Amino acid sequence: MSAGRRRTLSRRQVLAGTAASATGLATGVFCPAIAQSEPIRIGYLPALTGPSSSTGIGINRGTELAVKEINAAGGINGRQIELIVRDTQSDPTKAVNAATELTRRHKAHVIWGPLNSGEALAATPLIARDGVPQIHPCWVDSLTDVKKYPLCFRNAPTNQQIGGAANHYVVNVLKAKKVAVVSDTTGYGTASLDAYVPMLKKIGGDVVYQGSVEANNPDVKPELLRMQSGGAEAIMPWSVNAGFLSRLINTRSEMNWDVPIVGQTTLGSGQTKALLKKPEYWEKVYPNNFRNCSYDSSGKLPPRTVEFVERLRKANIDMSDTLLWWIALGYDGPRLIADAIKAAGSKPEEIAGYWNKVAGWPGVYGTITWTPEQHDGFQNNEVIMCQANSLKDGAFTLAPGYAS
Amino acid sequence: MLESIISHGLALGAVYALIGIAYNVMFAASRVFSFTAGMVGMLGGVLGALFIDRMGMPVIVGFLAVLAAGAILGIIVEVVTVRPVLRSLDQHLYVLSTLAFALMIQQLTAIEWSTEPQPFPRLIPIGPGLWDQQFWLPLLACAGTLIGLELLYRRTLVGRAFLAISEDNYAARALGLPEQGLRMASYALAGVIGVLAGFTGGQMMLAYFGNGAQLNFYGFVPVALGGMGSNRGAVAGGLALGLFQQAASFLVGGVFASVAVFVVFIIVLLARPEGFAGAATARRV
Repeated sequence: MSAGRRRTLSRRQVLAGTAASATGLATGVFCPAIAQSEPIRIGYLPALTGPSSSTGIGINRGTELAVKEINAAGGINGRQIELIVRDTQSDPTKAVNAATELTRRHKAHVIWGPLNSGEALAATPLIARDGVPQIHPCWVDSLTDVKKYPLCFRNAPTNQQIGGAANHYVVNVLKAKKVAVVSDTTGYGTASLDAYVPMLKKIGGDVVYQGSVEANNPDVKPELLRMQSGGAEAIMPWSVNAGFLSRLINTRSEMNWDVPIVGQTTLGSGQTKALLKKPEYWEKVYPNNFRNCSYDSSGKLPPRTVEFVERLRKANIDMSDTLLWWIALGYDGPRLIADAIKAAGSKPEEIAGYWNKVAGWPGVYGTITWTPEQHDGFQNNEVIMCQANSLKDGAFTLAPGYAS
Repeated sequence: MLESIISHGLALGAVYALIGIAYNVMFAASRVFSFTAGMVGMLGGVLGALFIDRMGMPVIVGFLAVLAAGAILGIIVEVVTVRPVLRSLDQHLYVLSTLAFALMIQQLTAIEWSTEPQPFPRLIPIGPGLWDQQFWLPLLACAGTLIGLELLYRRTLVGRAFLAISEDNYAARALGLPEQGLRMASYALAGVIGVLAGFTGGQMMLAYFGNGAQLNFYGFVPVALGGMGSNRGAVAGGLALGLFQQAASFLVGGVFASVAVFVVFIIVLLARPEGFAGAATARRV
């Protein structure tokens, strides 16, 4: 085009061009090109503030690292991941609003989260209604259902697996036949008691004490005396209240009773530790944990976890104030999503179709296998018990009795 | 077993009794049952742990700071939740205003402190066993408070002024007593007694935001058992409640202990609605 001869567009040409563009967009002529270059939108629902935030903050470190690594390596088939983060503030109502915003306004390709059961119970039905594939790491059994939520997958154990692992450890590894099972009076406590006691009896456990106690009760000695007089060889407390658990541990030790205490992950938490009268009272306390994120008896992590920890160190990710399995779990979520989109495409049915055939996917947190009939992917043998007093760099040592 | 029932039962009972006394002191000045008593008690434990454990204050300074915070909180309760209600025609609105304020305290504590129980510092390194502070400190605080209040009400002019407004606040005002100032002072005193309960019971109950509701509830029982307005009755009722609760824990265990406590409570109220130390009021016809 010469400088002396300027071309002008007539109104008719502009209108014709606009009409052609609009037709092209409406008929989808241009869509493949746009779709193949647009970023992959992962709607992410962590609780970064509020009472459940310690878990959310830990998981977030892994998720951010995974997304950063995938994008730095060129993205998914050349498409970058856009992580759209909405802090649920540990509030199910906010989780519901955020989930709707992510599926409807932002048209997220996939939802990662919510990261705790209370929020997932509220948000999962809405995500399923909007037809968006979802992965969450929440333990409540009803949070996966291939009929109700066909696009929803879990990359963590269920409560059944958690209780089953503890029961297995008590009966088959510790060989304790007479067991005391106690819970607090919260919904979680009583539901766990109702679910786990029959499972325990089924594998040969003799439940010599079964009861619920108010979590605020300052004196649990009466209950422990009952357990002792019943001949209990192991105590299984089901509670997430550090005060209640620490009182059980303190009282057991003050009674000079060396019975093992086996149960939920809170038994090994920093909050429980802070409430112990003496550090040595934490001996013979075995909380749930996960094989891939635990040291063996010689103090070594599994090879794939060693490599992951090295990567965390290089990325300057702090592990001292959180748990390794939280970070690992956060890391696995985006990678499962990336693998599905890379292999099958970004449409909901393509993503879910890929996940339905995942077998032995080697996550850092756990090995995942999903089928069209089973969306709970965690393996039973990867839920183990660990030694509460062995926390080092966010990971625990396997409880005695497990093969390395 | 008996040792555990007596040691834990009396200690817990003393904490309930102190909360009961806090209810009574506020009731005497305003005829209002302020449901902030338990929450103020909970704050005694939380602030004690905050000042001494986290901020590193010396024990005495931390203790005095907790008492001062209790007094200030008591005054805020009076100004914000009671005074506006007393001006209105439907004075029973205090149930809502004090309960709402109590819930606000609880939520703020959960947000700013923690939703998890936190350790309370060991103030006096004696024990373990019966000489542990968790057993005798609440009892000492309870005895001291009861004696102090008896002396205040019977031996001092200010104490008699408190009694005058509790008996007939119209007549007291007619005599020129500063009713509003005395009511505010009563609420400050109740705040101090409330935080004292939480502070002295802190090692036993831990610094936990969830203690507020429990103290509100169990602290009201001694008032009803002992008779409204009677501090001696509240102490007797509180200690009896603590012992009975602990005995029920041993005898029936678990959640049934709480059920047993409230069954007995209801039976006692049916048999003697005015409480053991309260006088039956004559009904005007």
